[in-house]
Amino acid sequence: MALAPPRPTIYEGTRIPAPIPTVLQVPRELRESEDILSVNFGPNHPSTHGVLRLVVDLNGEEVVGLAAVIGYLHTGFEKSMEQKTWWKAITYPERIDYVAFQYNELVFVLAIEKLLAIEVPPRATWMRMLLCELNRIHSHLVWLGTAALELGAISMFWYCFRERDRILDLFELACGARMHTRYFQAGGLAEDVPPGFFDECAKFVELMPKAIDDYEGLVDRSPIWRERTKGIGLLSADDAIALGQSGPVLRGSGVDWDLRREQPYLAYDKVDFRVPVYPEGDVYARYRVRMDEMRESVRIVDQALRRMPGGRWIADDRKVVLPPREELHTSMESLIHHFKIVTEGYRVPEGEVYVAVESPRGEAGCYVVSDGGPRPWRVKFRAPSFVALEATATCMSNALVADMIAIVGSLDTVMGDCDR
Amino acid sequence: MPTKGPGVFENEVAAMEQAVGLTTLEKAVAWAQTKSMWPDTFGLACCAIEMMSIVSSRYDIARFGMEAFRSSPRQADLLIVSGRVVHKMAAPLRQVYDQMLEPKWVIAMGACASSGGMFNNYTTLQGVDKIVAVDIHVPGCPPRPEALMEGIIRLHEKVMAGVPPAYELRGVAS
Amino acid sequence: MNFNAVPGLVEVKQAHGETTLVVDPARLIEAALHLRDELGFNFLSDIAATDYLGWGGKGVSGSIATASGRDLNRPSTQGFQALPSLKPKRFAMNYHLLGVRAGAPRVRLQVWLDEDEPVPSVVRVWPTADWHEREAWDLMGVPIEGHPNLRRILMDDDWEGHPLRKDYPIGGEPVRFSGDE
Repeated sequence: MALAPPRPTIYEGTRIPAPIPTVLQVPRELRESEDILSVNFGPNHPSTHGVLRLVVDLNGEEVVGLAAVIGYLHTGFEKSMEQKTWWKAITYPERIDYVAFQYNELVFVLAIEKLLAIEVPPRATWMRMLLCELNRIHSHLVWLGTAALELGAISMFWYCFRERDRILDLFELACGARMHTRYFQAGGLAEDVPPGFFDECAKFVELMPKAIDDYEGLVDRSPIWRERTKGIGLLSADDAIALGQSGPVLRGSGVDWDLRREQPYLAYDKVDFRVPVYPEGDVYARYRVRMDEMRESVRIVDQALRRMPGGRWIADDRKVVLPPREELHTSMESLIHHFKIVTEGYRVPEGEVYVAVESPRGEAGCYVVSDGGPRPWRVKFRAPSFVALEATATCMSNALVADMIAIVGSLDTVMGDCDR
Repeated sequence: MPTKGPGVFENEVAAMEQAVGLTTLEKAVAWAQTKSMWPDTFGLACCAIEMMSIVSSRYDIARFGMEAFRSSPRQADLLIVSGRVVHKMAAPLRQVYDQMLEPKWVIAMGACASSGGMFNNYTTLQGVDKIVAVDIHVPGCPPRPEALMEGIIRLHEKVMAGVPPAYELRGVAS
Repeated sequence: MNFNAVPGLVEVKQAHGETTLVVDPARLIEAALHLRDELGFNFLSDIAATDYLGWGGKGVSGSIATASGRDLNRPSTQGFQALPSLKPKRFAMNYHLLGVRAGAPRVRLQVWLDEDEPVPSVVRVWPTADWHEREAWDLMGVPIEGHPNLRRILMDDDWEGHPLRKDYPIGGEPVRFSGDE
């Protein structure tokens, strides 16, 4: 196999390819001298984490050209949300990143609350944080199960989904549905936490660290796992920032950056947690970041359980929040407010905001423009998976086909989040 | 109040069986088809995550012989369209469906595959039965794993009763 | 933070704890380089294009305000009292920037464009802009000048029209009711 000539890069000292940062192009000399095979890893593929299409040029087993084609799940969320009232539009963002569903809901609701300048009661804030951290564990479990499955560690799938079902049981207990819980409301939570939830959650917190030990025991010291993940898919810290990476991909490249600590939202400044950072920048580093994050999330859930405040679960502002149903029988004003909020929708003052949270995939953001009416004017979601896929070409220099599966898996993309 | 004994669906299936009148050989073939109906890995969106959880140990589709999700459509019997199908994905979906060998069955899992779900817009296909012939629609957003399993079991009962696959009964929706 | 030295600066807006810098599109690259190199905004979070066609066409609530901000003695705090503030042109391109350092400073860089007025590409400044600009072109029809690969990214390659524009219909099917047959 001829040694590939050095590729042109977008500026000095980087491995980001030029002229297009997201496309690895076959050098002309290679195309003339070697037999390059173009393979389509089509939208329906068992290992591409959803409907991602990779058009790959192969020189034997080595990947010399790569272009990602997305859009096979572009559902038109943003335009659909412009047609619905603010309340009804909250149902949509959950389906964007369907593995970490409450984060998109959270970011949209936080944006609405920022425009409304509404005070959220502390119980709602802590409960949101608890549920979001459970969702982070859920997302990492699904990632670990499927990424390990693709690399051949098939039994990991069953172990991870065993705990994942327990988390979904907790969601069903608190919110009424396993996935797409639709529990966050502008002003707090839709309903109070049902009795029995905190006990069940405490039981889960007891058993989860042992389960994570189980997972690590299965793959961490396995020589096959280490061969397939160490030194693969290298991404330097500067390249990661230039490519807009965030979350475990950025922390796996050695950049100590976590939005929960840097710009604390909800109650993250009141809980104690560590941010795992690994400097190697390879697939193994990202795997270790996610494993450690699971342990930290369990600690945050534990602290939230102990310190959960009592009180109201939603703000008391009747122009935005529905009145309690008992009042509708006796109070005319409550009846009118209920009617206006349900039929016309509450009005959000004019303005534009950008809110970002630390989702399991990275920085999930929501840019909302309101014209003062009952419907959003423009909603744009900053999708961490969309940006993570931009790094595929840079990570893929000198990779084999089998490494490509490991690298795309380690970027942890969810195609619903990527295509919106 | 429902009582013990066969419900409405079971009675309908029994009536169909008597009407169609299968021979012993056909019954044997139908029994074999239902006991190892291998699905194709066609997970698109959120419903795919719930489809994955029926493979997991709690809901365990291996009891029905179906844990072998085949990646190649040539080896698959059942296409569970799990998730929203958009115009760009419609052609690959039809291609995969065409590559499956007969007899083949299609389950439209979830609201988006059945009717477009909450996405009535420029890009989402309003129901996958516009391009493939669907046997069973499973409602839900996403349907619980038990709901999907009920859909699968009803499909098995349909096949055992002798109902032909959907492409013989009807074409795609117009 | 002092933004007065940003090239091409037209206006600085502060609202909801966020800073928006409105910049002349002809000097966007200089402004981007200044923000990245002098002021340290090395992370481009997002590029959001917005279409303001039809903005202000109907009256909206002046300000609904929260319970603490409502004042019975100021009549225009509720109800169909006001038109939203005017926008200079039809399209706005918003670049959300972040400085990856202590304090996590954020800023929004905003340029206003007419229909079919191109905006220069910032791929050379922040390589992550590649796909974001393709999405802005694909869904909103904002032409990007100097982009190395300006093709449709989310819609089909041969799709006509730019779906997120306000004059593009939502599409879909009318819902049929059984009683209408």
